[in-house]
Amino acid sequence: MKVKLRYILIFILPAMFLYTLFVMYPLFDSLRLSFYSWRGVGEKIFVGLKNYRDMFSGGFSKEVFNAFYHNVYFFVLVSALELGLGFLIALLLASKIKGTKIFRTVVYLPNMIPLVMVGFMWSLFLHPQIGLVNQLLKAIGLGSLARPWLGDPNLALTTIIIVNVWRNLGFYVLVILASILNISPELIEAAYIDGASNWKTTWRVIFPLTVPTFRTLLILLFIGSFNVFDMIYALEGVQAGPFRSTDVLGTVFYRTAFGGLGSAYTDMGLGAAVTVFIFMIVMPMSILYVYLVERRDRR
Amino acid sequence: MMRFSKFYKFLAYLVLSVYALIIAGPFFMMVMNSFKSMRELFLKPFSLPTKFMYQNYVQAWQRASIMRGYLNSAIVAAVSVVAVVVLSSMFAYMIAKYEFRGRRYLFLYSMLGLTLPARLAVIPIFLLLRSLNLTNSLLGLIIVYSSVNIPFSAFILKNFMDSVPNELCEAARIDGASVGMIYRSIVLPLVKPALSIVAIVTFVNVWNDFFFPLILINDRSKATITLAVSIFFGEYSTQWQLLFSGLTLSIAPTVILFLIFSQTFIAGMTQGAIK
Repeated sequence: MKVKLRYILIFILPAMFLYTLFVMYPLFDSLRLSFYSWRGVGEKIFVGLKNYRDMFSGGFSKEVFNAFYHNVYFFVLVSALELGLGFLIALLLASKIKGTKIFRTVVYLPNMIPLVMVGFMWSLFLHPQIGLVNQLLKAIGLGSLARPWLGDPNLALTTIIIVNVWRNLGFYVLVILASILNISPELIEAAYIDGASNWKTTWRVIFPLTVPTFRTLLILLFIGSFNVFDMIYALEGVQAGPFRSTDVLGTVFYRTAFGGLGSAYTDMGLGAAVTVFIFMIVMPMSILYVYLVERRDRR
Repeated sequence: MMRFSKFYKFLAYLVLSVYALIIAGPFFMMVMNSFKSMRELFLKPFSLPTKFMYQNYVQAWQRASIMRGYLNSAIVAAVSVVAVVVLSSMFAYMIAKYEFRGRRYLFLYSMLGLTLPARLAVIPIFLLLRSLNLTNSLLGLIIVYSSVNIPFSAFILKNFMDSVPNELCEAARIDGASVGMIYRSIVLPLVKPALSIVAIVTFVNVWNDFFFPLILINDRSKATITLAVSIFFGEYSTQWQLLFSGLTLSIAPTVILFLIFSQTFIAGMTQGAIK
């Protein structure tokens, strides 16, 4: 239908005004700020590409790359665990056993709880001496497995990833389950008639048909993994201890832009440069996502 | 659907029960330990409390300013949800039901924000709000949340509105209905399920957010529930019985809401993400 310009403006402007002013403009303004050195008050000093030079060489670059590597590790491990376990559990749920509804509710429950609260909760459970995890291990005779889960630089990040999986897995299970249940039963019947075993049916029929879902989830996981912050904050603080072994770009950014005790580098401009760096990593994936979704919609 | 042997079903029950236990166990322990004295909590972490110390809750309630937190979060979430639903449904309606130049590009532009994390823009957002005197204020948070949730909501609503038959709108127009009347009395009622998805997802996003309050709010009386409890954790880090009660209190509203409306929530959150 055709419509008068006046109506277009009335209906579109309010949403686009807010969106432009508080989402798109700030994203691009970060880029402008990243060329300045600025304490947040007082005068902004134009420093050209200095912030970027600092980010990729010298003392600060060690922090940035250490964190970047942790983000990559986070993405790889979280994706393997959440998609792998998610697929397995979704397959079990698809077998139409009784109680599926209750089960769906239980597995989704942790998703309703703020990440930061989940972090605080597990910081108590994972306490080395009096935390429930180590106490439980001792109680069942596995005391030798007790570890300072969050205090050991070799374990801390992996522990945080597992807590993350504990919280989010239900979401992946349910999304993958929905995509499995979407497969038309005739396809599976046909596989059976051809004499395929359950194993073969799973890998030759079900898995290939859920690949588009995995692709979407992988994109979302990638973007999410480069924006981890809340849980690290709750479990290890903004210093991302022990010895920065759990530092991610999100915590580097927070320390740089908004301070926090013991931060060697504090500068809004440098902080903005860190966000531009994250933005550059995430942006291609966002565009890919928009492309995939738009292409599917037009079909 | 796939056929399974008895053994497979048994295995499925076993695995799923273990998984459910791993999920539910920590919640159970949290609630149980929140009723113990500190001494009992450390000495007998797995037993039921010998005496129910409901006083823990009274103390946590007061010291963590839980009521303030609930109220602030509720105000921010409620207003943001209304704003997001109204603004993005208006936008989606125009995009889905009318033809004009640049429509597709406008839609693509709005979709850019779908996956770009708004927290990357937080420094300019902070500066912008500061220049408007809106840092440390609930209104500031509301504006930010209303803006960052528009892309997702507009996207979902546009998809649903696409499936409203154009003939219906055209017929109404011939009968003399205005653009606003078609929006209110034809399109909106037909996309009610989408409106509830959008409302639920926005509500959960806003209620659970911690990042923006952490950066934009520095006055305790303005803290949302997530921020209030995180301040509380810093102050009472050794009094675990209070921490467990505080945690239980802070997550109770969403958990209760979820248990009542779980199927709607699950449909909303999972459909929403994949759409």
